[in-house]
Amino acid sequence: MAGTGSRGRAERRSAGELESEVLAALWATEHPLTPAEIQSEIGGGLAYNTVHTILKRLYDKGLVLRDADGRRGAYRPAKNAAQLTAEAMHEALDRGPDPIAALQQFVSGLSPEEERALRNLFAGDGV
Amino acid sequence: MRFDVYTPLLVALLLSPAAPVIGRRVAPALAARVLTSAAVLTAAATTWSLVLLTTALLGDAPPVVREARADGHRLADPVPEVIGVAACLALVVVVWRVQRAVRAERATRRALRRLCEGQPRDTELVVAASAVPQAFAIPGRPGRILVTSAMLSALAPAERRVLLAHERAHLAHRHGRLVTAVTLAAAANPLLGPVRSAVTFLVERWADEQAASAVGDRGTTARALARAALSAGRARPSCALNFTDRAVTRRIAALRTTPPPPRWPTAAPVLALGALAALFAADATTDLVTLLSDALT
Repeated sequence: MAGTGSRGRAERRSAGELESEVLAALWATEHPLTPAEIQSEIGGGLAYNTVHTILKRLYDKGLVLRDADGRRGAYRPAKNAAQLTAEAMHEALDRGPDPIAALQQFVSGLSPEEERALRNLFAGDGV
Repeated sequence: MRFDVYTPLLVALLLSPAAPVIGRRVAPALAARVLTSAAVLTAAATTWSLVLLTTALLGDAPPVVREARADGHRLADPVPEVIGVAACLALVVVVWRVQRAVRAERATRRALRRLCEGQPRDTELVVAASAVPQAFAIPGRPGRILVTSAMLSALAPAERRVLLAHERAHLAHRHGRLVTAVTLAAAANPLLGPVRSAVTFLVERWADEQAASAVGDRGTTARALARAALSAGRARPSCALNFTDRAVTRRIAALRTTPPPPRWPTAAPVLALGALAALFAADATTDLVTLLSDALT
């Protein structure tokens, strides 16, 4: 199950999964990214052409925008829909008794001791 | 009937302390499935037992008693009236609790569907532009992953892949259904509460293991969890909920050791317990039917 190398794994990622990764990479940074930057960010031996194709698809869906005033060929995420989603999410969270508690959240909270322990555990890794 | 009808209750009492032990010793995928199946069987059996005990009150109903006496039958009443009445009240509470749980589930589904409105059909990732680090899977067709921009920018590239793989595992293995099933079981029988907690923890462990094998690195997976938890903690310093279960710390500790093997010999007895509860409930049904038909014919 575990991949033998990052290249092998990248080839097994589906188009939909790669789309998510490119979109996630664009959202993770403040500034627009060029396809080459995205390629190095995602890694795993992804071809430049593949990145281009994925960006084109995301652009057609209206999820990313071409950076008009910045560098040529750079992309940034479209914020409008994401802001509406955030509003809907906070509304759902605030309405209580806690509809989202029933979901599988990636992480739950930490106690102060746990936080200290985690920081110590990963002290060398820059967490 | 005297004995069978109370057995499912005993099974529920045994299942609760067994759940965390199975959770520690058996691979999370198998443990979660086995515990959920056993919990659902047991909850159905205990609820049915309450129905049987309530029905046994019919044996005390004056027309039945009169008729039986007239026919010269000796009426063996297996259930004391006090227990019958208590079972009837318990049944009312069970129905109310299950109804409430179903309503809560529906409300959650509705809230989630609303979050996906207006998204392109074939897109897996839904980003919310929010400063609160959050990530969760939204089951459905297609299943989606909702992540806030704050969560994405808190993680390194490899850790983002862990996050996506974790949520993908929830969707691919239908963890939502498993958790709903065990939640309804615990609503029907509050004694199964610890089993529900064990299963909700186990599906997270299951998704962690899937993510670790997808990115091929347990260390990165542990680090992704730590970083996500630390940034989530910073964003909500006042929120004191769910701190007692130490879930994230336990998940990280599990990723830093080798994963437990499936171990059927340890898991099978749990499933057998659930089957036992169902069997005894079925047996008690036959007893009651025989008893009532004896009294009435």
